[in-house]
Amino acid sequence: MARYGMVIDETKCVGCYACRVACQNQNHLRENEAYNYLEEREYGQFPNFNREFLPLQCQHCDNPPCVAVCPTGASQKRKDGVVLVNEKDCIGCKYCIAACPYHVRIIKKEGYIEKCRFCIEFVEEGGKPACMTTCMTGVRLFGDLDDPNSDISQFVAKNRHRLRVYKRELNTKPRIFYRKA
Amino acid sequence: MQDKSLKLSRRSFLRGSALTAGALSLGLLDFQSWAKSNAAAPVRRIPTICNGCGNRCSLFAYVKNGRIWRIEGNREANGNQGVVCPKGHGYLHDLYNPNRIRSPLKRVEGKFQPISWEQAYKEIAQKINIILMENGPESVFWVNYPQPNHAYALRFMHSLGSPHYFTHGSTCYTARNAAWNFTVGKLPSNDLANSRFIMTIGRNPAGGIDLGQVRDIVKAKERGAKIIVVDPRHNETAILADEWLPIKPGTDLAFLLAMINVMVGETLYDKEFVANNTVGFQQLEDEIINYPPQWAEKICDIPAETITRVTREIARAKPYALIHRGYHGAIGAQYLNSFQTARALAIANSLLGNINRKGGIYFPESAELGELQPTHPAPAGPAGPKADGTGIPGRYPLGSYGDGISHAIPELALRGVLKCGFVYHHNPLRTNPNPQRVIAGYRKLELLVVIDPVLSETASIAHYVLPASFYLEADEAVDTKHYGKRAQVSIQRKVIAPLFDSRSGFQIIGDLAKHLGIGKYFNFTLDEANELRLKPLGVALKDLKAKGILPVGEAWKEGFGKLETPSGKVEIASSTLERLGYPAIPRWEAPLVSPDDKDPHSFRLIHGKQAIHTHAMTANQPYLMAISRRYDMIRLLINRKRAEKIGLKDGDVVKIKSLVGEGEIRVKLTEGLHPSCVWLPSGYGIFSKHLTTAYDQGLSYNDFLPTLFDPTVGHAMSSEVIVQVKKA
Ligand code: SF4
Ligand code: SF4
Repeated sequence: MARYGMVIDETKCVGCYACRVACQNQNHLRENEAYNYLEEREYGQFPNFNREFLPLQCQHCDNPPCVAVCPTGASQKRKDGVVLVNEKDCIGCKYCIAACPYHVRIIKKEGYIEKCRFCIEFVEEGGKPACMTTCMTGVRLFGDLDDPNSDISQFVAKNRHRLRVYKRELNTKPRIFYRKA
Repeated sequence: MQDKSLKLSRRSFLRGSALTAGALSLGLLDFQSWAKSNAAAPVRRIPTICNGCGNRCSLFAYVKNGRIWRIEGNREANGNQGVVCPKGHGYLHDLYNPNRIRSPLKRVEGKFQPISWEQAYKEIAQKINIILMENGPESVFWVNYPQPNHAYALRFMHSLGSPHYFTHGSTCYTARNAAWNFTVGKLPSNDLANSRFIMTIGRNPAGGIDLGQVRDIVKAKERGAKIIVVDPRHNETAILADEWLPIKPGTDLAFLLAMINVMVGETLYDKEFVANNTVGFQQLEDEIINYPPQWAEKICDIPAETITRVTREIARAKPYALIHRGYHGAIGAQYLNSFQTARALAIANSLLGNINRKGGIYFPESAELGELQPTHPAPAGPAGPKADGTGIPGRYPLGSYGDGISHAIPELALRGVLKCGFVYHHNPLRTNPNPQRVIAGYRKLELLVVIDPVLSETASIAHYVLPASFYLEADEAVDTKHYGKRAQVSIQRKVIAPLFDSRSGFQIIGDLAKHLGIGKYFNFTLDEANELRLKPLGVALKDLKAKGILPVGEAWKEGFGKLETPSGKVEIASSTLERLGYPAIPRWEAPLVSPDDKDPHSFRLIHGKQAIHTHAMTANQPYLMAISRRYDMIRLLINRKRAEKIGLKDGDVVKIKSLVGEGEIRVKLTEGLHPSCVWLPSGYGIFSKHLTTAYDQGLSYNDFLPTLFDPTVGHAMSSEVIVQVKKA
């Protein structure tokens, strides 16, 4: 069985938001509902200045606090590594929103909670997540981390020393790995 | 027929999606409910092109039960290489925007009334006939933003006998094009992917999006290329760069002259290339001595050592080194010195010996579409020159006759030279400088016909508005693209049936011609015309329809051949310019206006693009505007120190005031902007009440710009404006 994960190269994001809108289309989201976020950071003082955009989405943690607090089991960690919300079981209590340290969960207009799903239905048909395929700078790489021949595994092997997980100290064990400068 | 199929398709759409008519008008608010009830519906994938901006990228549109669901980039397209930008994804939802016009409209006593196509055409024809009789064909103009039907629009104008076909060029790129034409004979491309040293000056492909260019820059970077961004603002491309050189706006010419000074002084240029393929190097040597880096530093704020160092670095990488050919910023249409800046940029590239070289500046093999004649004889071209003076000695000799000076239309209307206009896929009331003046000019017209899917500012004052089909609803003319090493031809296809009583641009042009008695020049269907035009390229229309985009013509070959300049060589010194009374070699020329150093409230107002908006066209798109709001992007950028000096905090509201306009907007304080200027993102400031999402959100730089014409090219000089910024 595949164990999905993603690499985000934070040196490459130019903050265009194509990933946000591509994802909204793929997942039929309304304009104010998004699974992708950007955090802009500025460094230095004029003229020695730089900035970066950090793309954020559900980190598909292996130790997901959202799943731990969900009273109905609607939030689940699947065997393939993907964290999903089953909307039928979600009662909209928002415990998961409070528990998620990455602030990536939203309340849908219908009342249930959602967040990035790694486009899993599309992936199961052979596709790739929409945020990855639309990006002009190629920020994201998605694939099976258990398959040593996958693009992502090869990338991880080459860049291991430059990869980190976000908020590592919380021990959430994200399956999204950030490549930093 | 049209109406019947329309009703049918609408009904089946409603049935299929289980939406009510009310919900349909709300469009994507019900995207999700639609998706749920259509989860199992079969999906169709249709190749077409995007209309989110002028790039017209190649896409596949996914359709379920007659509704657009999502799009994907076409990997075969050199221009977008399989990816799509945010505007492309967002703009498709405008198909379902409730602000769309549902039928032709006529303005009666200030209010729009629906009218049938037939009646609209009849009334338009009757009015034009009178105008033609009284004022002659030259009093009629057509203006459009580039679109695939340009050949037919031109044919239409020529059939009427008018020279007055305009593009938006004078507010965008005419200085750049003129300078490259005078120097190397035509506008080249950049071989970014193979370059080892890329410098951009006033060009930001990651913000004013060019997807292929960004991908190529990333490829070059991954191979170790150095990237330097010269821009008053830390733009989006700067995020990918090794170095950002925050130049004082309006002084790029000084920076380039100093680079040339170093190249010449230290003999860093490509001697062989210069000896064999250029004219006027001697004159350059004599002149350029006046512009050492120490001189430039005082003008452009880039330290002399930096100028010297980067010049040495770029020269070391030659010929696999380039300064981006540029676009609107700095050299396109922004300053009094834009033409000379673009000339200096072209000359600096030539000194690197990179012309038509791998990793440099190159000329893709052009693939020309075929002509309709002799099968369909063309009208005789118009006899007279354009009234805007393009190409006329003593007026705008370096102006582009083909583009015309479209921001002169209001002036020509006020003078009574132009009486009647067609505006297609364009919104000059919002995208031209000095809206008060533009409104006065366009209002003076005896007849204004606007072809648009929505009531833009310009459409709002038209006598007649003809609803153009949204790009996903109509087949249109084939068009060539010259990105990459081989030209391509692409086609816009009808992906779904029109939702409302709209027509394609191609059909509207032909319909108008028939009603104006020039129908004999439009005796062909779109398919016939497309087939004729594809013929010399050896492409069958059905293949193109199936693929969306196909390669045509020859592949690019490296090597310097005879150029399309008078000497056949790179014209470092231009005898043509000299004959016209301009310097043969670029000389320093100060910008027209400069902020007052002693006044803490005085700034130059500059502008640029955010990746999520195109001109004035996408601000009304809820998906894109949601980003503007969520990330607080509708703000004026100001240098932090300058802001603090006048008591401003991040998020404060300021009043901006220029000679012609004033407005209020919130500020964003940043270290990433040159202190002499404030920066306004373009695309906002919509004042048409019919565009409900965008209305009254932010400001446009055009609100502050006086009506200016560069004295040689005639462009708008759209950053030659000083504003007062004060806490509101
Ligand atoms: S599409 Fe790519 S570059 Fe654009 S915001 Fe998303 S991650 Fe960043
Ligand atoms: S750059 Fe974006 S908006 Fe422009 S044509 Fe391409 S996908 Fe569409």
